[in-house]
Amino acid sequence: MAEMVRKSSVDEVVNHWILAGSCILLGITGFAFLFHLEWVSSLFGGVNTMKEVHNWGGVVFCLSLLYSMRHYLKDAFEYDADDWQWFKVAGGYLSHKVKVPPMGKYNPGQKLYYLAIVVAGIAIALSGFGMWFLKEDASMLLLSHIVHNVAFIIFVIAVPVHIYLGTLANPGTLQIMLTGMMPLNEAKKKHPKWIKAVGKM
Amino acid sequence: MANDTSKNRKAILVTPEACIGCRACQVACKSWNQLPAIKTTNNGTYQNPPDLASAAYNIIQYSEVPFKENLVRWLFLSRRCMHCEDAGCVTICPSGALYKTAEGAVAFDRDKCIGCKLCVTACPFDVPRYDGEGKVTKCHLCFDRIANGMDPACVKTCPTGALKYGDRAELIDTAKKEGYTTLYGENDLHGLGSVYAFKEEPKLYGMKENPAIPSSVVFWHNYLKPLSLIGLGGVVAAAAVHYLAIGPHKEKEEEV
Ligand code: SF4
Ligand code: SF4
Ligand code: SF4
Repeated sequence: MAEMVRKSSVDEVVNHWILAGSCILLGITGFAFLFHLEWVSSLFGGVNTMKEVHNWGGVVFCLSLLYSMRHYLKDAFEYDADDWQWFKVAGGYLSHKVKVPPMGKYNPGQKLYYLAIVVAGIAIALSGFGMWFLKEDASMLLLSHIVHNVAFIIFVIAVPVHIYLGTLANPGTLQIMLTGMMPLNEAKKKHPKWIKAVGKM
Repeated sequence: MANDTSKNRKAILVTPEACIGCRACQVACKSWNQLPAIKTTNNGTYQNPPDLASAAYNIIQYSEVPFKENLVRWLFLSRRCMHCEDAGCVTICPSGALYKTAEGAVAFDRDKCIGCKLCVTACPFDVPRYDGEGKVTKCHLCFDRIANGMDPACVKTCPTGALKYGDRAELIDTAKKEGYTTLYGENDLHGLGSVYAFKEEPKLYGMKENPAIPSSVVFWHNYLKPLSLIGLGGVVAAAAVHYLAIGPHKEKEEEV
């Protein structure tokens, strides 16, 4: 067995999947509301139960998003020169020939992704609660409705990119989010600055 | 235009000038729809209940307007759902509870309603109301009666012909021939299913000028809804193209 290093703590892994699961559930039910997908609402036993699932799924998502901040928020705000260089070579995603600068624990694409999810997540959560609890106020309801839908679009674009990059585009990444561990050799190559910082290189 | 699309579109023609304010329509509607009475207080007007309510799908709106010297005119206007061709309530309803019937009525399926109250925010006429359980209620053009060849209950009971039901195009034609110069709702929102025949300014009777669906609802419907699909589809397609054309990161290439 290759030597492994822990990249994600257990609570991070668990919380990631709670966040992911609730997010996908909310996305599917969200599309079902937008386009009246009866085959979806019937899976929930009708549109009224689907609404409850959507509302309470939103509460779970919201709590999980808040919890995730302890794992990622600090990193997401820190960018160094290598990060800017990473953007110049598009993270090596557009060509395998370019030299990708050495990365810390997360690359700036991941950091920006997280910030996008935090911003859109806060917007979609607040507007969701707005539609839930402030529906007697017509202007609050309409405002919440539009904010909810704009944030939804950020999600339907950002989340599939994250899923693709975390699975097919980067073989081996999914395992990290399942076990929290990654092979030390690989970590040294992909995240040299992080490994140095934790004193294993 | 959308009002040509449904050739056999039905409508209620309201002729406020012919209305005597007897409110038989209010009673007939309650009776047919088995709606409970509403306790109200006398607020100095005959208008009762004061507004549309979950148990009042139609009301006669009474207004007093100045007329010549020292005189007052008392005007009666039947307020109800307009059964818009371009119905904001149907557009925004996330549950599919609000729907259009073959006759062009905007009806609702109470069981489906999730009580979000979005429909009233998207309605240019402030029509939908919500019952004790928060479920939508409103005039449904007696979709159950008209589908069986009967007149709506309110029309059936109207003693003066101020309410008429029939083929929308015919009703409008006849009203024009009878000298009604303004057919409110002929073209608004692609044509209303409650058309009002006036010889005067509709505003005088308290009709809303230039009714429109809130712009945020139109924007959401025309742009955000399609964008959510295009966004998702575009990203999935882009990922597929990337995978095939450029391919995933491979171990070897990581060595720098
Ligand atoms: S008047 Fe309001 S409730 Fe009636 S069909 Fe038009 S938008 Fe819907
Ligand atoms: S309150 Fe009911 S009928 Fe109105 S938009 Fe919401 S689900 Fe549809
Ligand atoms: S058409 Fe039917 S539901 Fe509508 S106001 Fe008349 S009686 Fe009531």
